[in-house]
Amino acid sequence: MSLFRLAVSNFKRSVREFGMLILSLTVSVCVLFNFQNMIYSDAMNVLVELRKEAIDTIMQAATVVFMVFLFFFIWYATNVFLNQRKKEIGIYIFMGLDNGRIGRMYALESIFVGCFSLAAGLFCGVAFSKFFQMLLLKLSQISVDIKFSFSWKPVIVPAAAFAVIYGLMTVKGYYTLRMSSVLNLLSSARQKEIKPEKKIITALRVILGIGILGAGYVFSWLTEDVDALNHALMAVVLVIIGVYLLYSGLIPAILRVLTRNKNYLYKRERNLWVNSLAFRIRKNYRTYAMVTVLMSCAVTVMAISIAMKQRYEKIQYFGEVYTCQVLSSQEMDPEEIARGIQKENQVEYWNAVSWMIFPPEFLDTSYDQWVYGAVPYSQVKEAAEKTGMEFPYEELQEDQMIKLSHEILLSLAGYDREKEVQVNGETYQVLAEDKTPYLGSMQNQATFYVVSDKTYDRFKEAPGAMAYYLYNYRITDPENIDASRGYLDSLAHTGEDGAFVGVNYSQTQQDDDSWIRVMYSLCLFMFATLMLACASIIFMKVGNDVYEDRERYQVLEKLGISREVLCRSVRKEISFAYYCPFLLMSLTSFFSVHALGNVMQEDLIQVNLWSAAAILAVFTAVCLVSVKGAERKLFSKVK
Amino acid sequence: MNKILEIRNLSKSYGRKGYKTMVLRDISMDIYQGDFIAVMGPSGSGKTTLLNLLSTLDKPDQGEILLEGEHVLKMKNKKLSQIRRDKIGFIFQDYNLLDNMTLQDNIALPLSLNGVSPAKTLKKVQEKALVFGLESHLQKYPYQLSGGQKQRAASARALITEPRILFADEPTGALDSRASRDLLCCLKAANEEGSATILMVTHDVYTASYARQVYFLKDGQIQCRLNHRGDRKEFYDEIMQMLASMGGEQE
Repeated sequence: MSLFRLAVSNFKRSVREFGMLILSLTVSVCVLFNFQNMIYSDAMNVLVELRKEAIDTIMQAATVVFMVFLFFFIWYATNVFLNQRKKEIGIYIFMGLDNGRIGRMYALESIFVGCFSLAAGLFCGVAFSKFFQMLLLKLSQISVDIKFSFSWKPVIVPAAAFAVIYGLMTVKGYYTLRMSSVLNLLSSARQKEIKPEKKIITALRVILGIGILGAGYVFSWLTEDVDALNHALMAVVLVIIGVYLLYSGLIPAILRVLTRNKNYLYKRERNLWVNSLAFRIRKNYRTYAMVTVLMSCAVTVMAISIAMKQRYEKIQYFGEVYTCQVLSSQEMDPEEIARGIQKENQVEYWNAVSWMIFPPEFLDTSYDQWVYGAVPYSQVKEAAEKTGMEFPYEELQEDQMIKLSHEILLSLAGYDREKEVQVNGETYQVLAEDKTPYLGSMQNQATFYVVSDKTYDRFKEAPGAMAYYLYNYRITDPENIDASRGYLDSLAHTGEDGAFVGVNYSQTQQDDDSWIRVMYSLCLFMFATLMLACASIIFMKVGNDVYEDRERYQVLEKLGISREVLCRSVRKEISFAYYCPFLLMSLTSFFSVHALGNVMQEDLIQVNLWSAAAILAVFTAVCLVSVKGAERKLFSKVK
Repeated sequence: MNKILEIRNLSKSYGRKGYKTMVLRDISMDIYQGDFIAVMGPSGSGKTTLLNLLSTLDKPDQGEILLEGEHVLKMKNKKLSQIRRDKIGFIFQDYNLLDNMTLQDNIALPLSLNGVSPAKTLKKVQEKALVFGLESHLQKYPYQLSGGQKQRAASARALITEPRILFADEPTGALDSRASRDLLCCLKAANEEGSATILMVTHDVYTASYARQVYFLKDGQIQCRLNHRGDRKEFYDEIMQMLASMGGEQE
């Protein structure tokens, strides 16, 4: 049989035996293709009006992130594949094949697996592209009529990326086999010894692991203000190192302590599974650490998407509270404007507020590029009553203020609540900071201080101060605002004396922000992809371990250990593989999401809980499949 | 003496209809408490098949096996597991120790899985380690031990549940002469002092000479039996003579 035919026959068998590897590679290519397809697809050209360049940038960024992940994933998957094949491949040595030829046979097999996965991935990618686009746009609340289209451009990047990464791993596998000794090949990658480690090194790992991970958590807890980026970066680096050290130090140490405590070990099936875990942890800890870090990333990505969405919705609410705002340098008749609008639309509510901008020298602030102003208490209160918004403040004293601010998407600037503010040489006490959109989207343009009417009048009289008038209208059918546009636009003018009237339509900004919603949808996809990838990594690892355990369990059955006992032991061992990384991820993600919450000033605990629950559900399902698969592999051949 | 195992007209064949090979033909024997039996025979004589049938790992085509009066062939898998766990001990040629646990945990395994208290398990492990000369190796992993030490550990594991009968399949097959002697002395001591009942399959005359009776198997049938009466060396010579008279070539 020629090398080629041998490789073909091995490949046919490996399609069945290593289905999980092929499936994982196929799904990876499929997802990568769809990310690229979003950029080049004709169907997406409709997004041009919706700042497609921003969406494309996000897509490209997502592709890069995904490719980095793909690199590690393929590395891991091909290693598992190689280890499982080593023993069988080693037997070919007795058939007279030298290492070089065995390496070439493996490379051929890998190329078949790779080509098959690439072709299947691209085929599935093309087949599901319309579905993917529809799903993404539906999640992004962008209504576009999607048509199926195909072009070669989105094929190039995923195919090239996959070919390069997978090719590298195949070459690596080829050289590993070439350099392997016969003994190493025959014993495959099966672990035969528990590598002893000096106590001092273990102690160092334990102390460093706890210390570094703890420091990482502290940094993430302190992630706010201007140091947020530095703290977040430190937290990420420390948590990754800490997690690795924890899995290589503390957890093996705990397992060793448990195996030495015979009062614990000799109860139920612990002698089997605790010993097995303790024996294997040195080999498996990198996998557990990788999965923990990946899952923490998944939850954080999910939290980012939800935080962005929450933020976005709040920002959007600022624009939606009034359908249109008329801004004037001179006092107008608000009822007359309302009557004008009512010719075409029903006005749900309206209000009028006079306001003023502080001259630059008025306010002592470090943010000198920002606009500050004042509004009188009584008018804001009346405006709030008319719109049905709460305004829970008592009549203000002359030296008291309420700060009206707005929501922002993301800020690394610290949240430092002002207690006092200096205006025009006088000190005012800031009673509260309020983000209720009393002034609608106007509040996005400047920071306003609500002051007592007397104070407002005093400010207005100050030299250089300018007073303006704001008339806010909300119509019952905001979609129909265009019907009143003719009238409203007729009001707008700029006089020679500098007097002006302007109109602001709040709904128009929605389309500009489509990229935020696309980003939110992409983050959801990322979360789902990372979560499934983590589950499949553990699935493969467990499959590999079970493959090594077959003889061991056959011996145990011969010894008369009942299947119930053995199944319980298998279940516990496999459960550890899924739930230990999950538990550490839950702890780590609590801190990462908290850090994110600090930066975005959002309460993200719910997101954290729900995303952890989603991972738990997926892990539980995959764990059950793993257990069933393991029971089938371990016990089917024993009478 | 109590009859532990009763075998009646046991036959076993392998292969499909028309191509069947009879491995065992009409084997009958009784094993009593305290027996130390060796079954000898050339390759293909049916030694291992007989052991597999008696130890409930395989089923015969015909015949009956009664373990302490109970028909094991009529038992369901669950009950058979229970029998293997509680009443039967095994020693395999290739030790079959679990490489992921220490010797102590390997020996303790059957008891710990049977729900025996940790304190009692530890006490028994110590006792067996003493019998098999393993006290100083308990904290080692199988890969840190010699073949002889591993086989003694496997024997200690097999005897820790105090089984009614111990089956040993070529226990010295992978050992050198010194390790074989150490193991056989331990098994002999367990048989004489602990009154363990042992059935051992071997092709090695030296190993068989430690037994009290030796059954000779040829072409699936018991050809004859020798009883150990006096000195072990004399018994060794008797076995050699028997083999010579049978004319069969031993491996």
